[in-house]
Amino acid sequence: MIPIRILIAGTLRIGVATACIIATVGGVLYLLAHGSEPFDIARYLHFSYTEPHDPAFTTLGGILSGFCSFTAVGWIQTGVLVLLLTPVLRVLISLFDFLRERDWLYAAICAIVLAVIISNSLEGALM
Amino acid sequence: MTILIFTLVLLLSAYCAGLLGSLTGLGGGVVIIPVLTLGFGIDFHYAIGAALVSSIATSSGSGSAYVKEGMTNVRLGMFLEIATSIGAVCGAAVAIYLNNNIIAVIYGCVLLLTAAMQQRRKSDHDGVRGSSLARRLKLYGTFPQKDGSLKAYELHHVGGGFSVMYVAGVLSGILGIGSGVLKVLAMDALMKVPFKVSTTTSNFMMGVTACASAVIYVQRGIIEPGLACPVLIGVLLGALTGARLLKKMDVRVLRQIFCVAITLVALNMIWQGLAGSY
Repeated sequence: MIPIRILIAGTLRIGVATACIIATVGGVLYLLAHGSEPFDIARYLHFSYTEPHDPAFTTLGGILSGFCSFTAVGWIQTGVLVLLLTPVLRVLISLFDFLRERDWLYAAICAIVLAVIISNSLEGALM
Repeated sequence: MTILIFTLVLLLSAYCAGLLGSLTGLGGGVVIIPVLTLGFGIDFHYAIGAALVSSIATSSGSGSAYVKEGMTNVRLGMFLEIATSIGAVCGAAVAIYLNNNIIAVIYGCVLLLTAAMQQRRKSDHDGVRGSSLARRLKLYGTFPQKDGSLKAYELHHVGGGFSVMYVAGVLSGILGIGSGVLKVLAMDALMKVPFKVSTTTSNFMMGVTACASAVIYVQRGIIEPGLACPVLIGVLLGALTGARLLKKMDVRVLRQIFCVAITLVALNMIWQGLAGSY
């Protein structure tokens, strides 16, 4: 039986490494396609909530279809999503470990944290 | 300038930010925001998106070693994450109504607090008697010392610490940083958790805190792939280099210099924010 802290540490490390590799592939694809184009800082100078954003990097469907069709943006954002999933996975593993130890109080605490993250993400996804 | 050159410059800046953040114990997310906004003139919102991604990366990447050593108090972290994740959701909801000037002022204040906290004495808080609530929640633990032996500790003021953690979560939701300064303040100053346990547990909590608001940020288009990718990779590599260097380097002088530097950056941001120049 692997001690829980070794398992958590391993999950975190592998998750970050995977995310970083996927995002790097995306970054290389992006530079191969657009690297030699002139850079215009103007696109980063003003952010607006009201302007619609490209679904290719803001929706789960857009990101995953980009990933499947091997686009740069799809791969970078998939890397970001894997990165976001890493801490969630860590909470999930703790939840199972506390259940196994019959530590109901801490299992409930893990469940609350998971519920906050998931409900907030779903609410955003449905918007 | 081509996109290739911009990306490489950004990658190098992010690497330096990650390195400095790790050596000074502030975290890469805190350093990358002024680099992007003051250095490149990028909108605060995009900078926050990039910082959010790098906060999660450094928290998970460098935090894993401390979890393995048993320095991090996983129970304490889990319990306080209720407060920080709810706070982060509230912060992300409020963030829509804040313009760049207000964000700059809030960020400047957090930086000032960070600089002040750097001057604090690092204490193990010997002989703290745990409160009954802390005992019922099993919020005590042991941590490894330099000679390899384990040292036990207890803590108190659970309610107060929980409330400060909520504020830390709100700030994380607004600024995309881990707000480690408030987390350490809550654990070290209020709950009397040993300093080393406070900082590592704070780092451990950042990933989950940032995650609670991050999906919303992706949907709002704040996490922009052209910026997020080089910043994520650069900050992470910088933080990993920093963690190696930290073992052989004496960083006291660097921390003092850096403390002055972030105070100046903070005052500059507050001033420009109040003048409405963002």
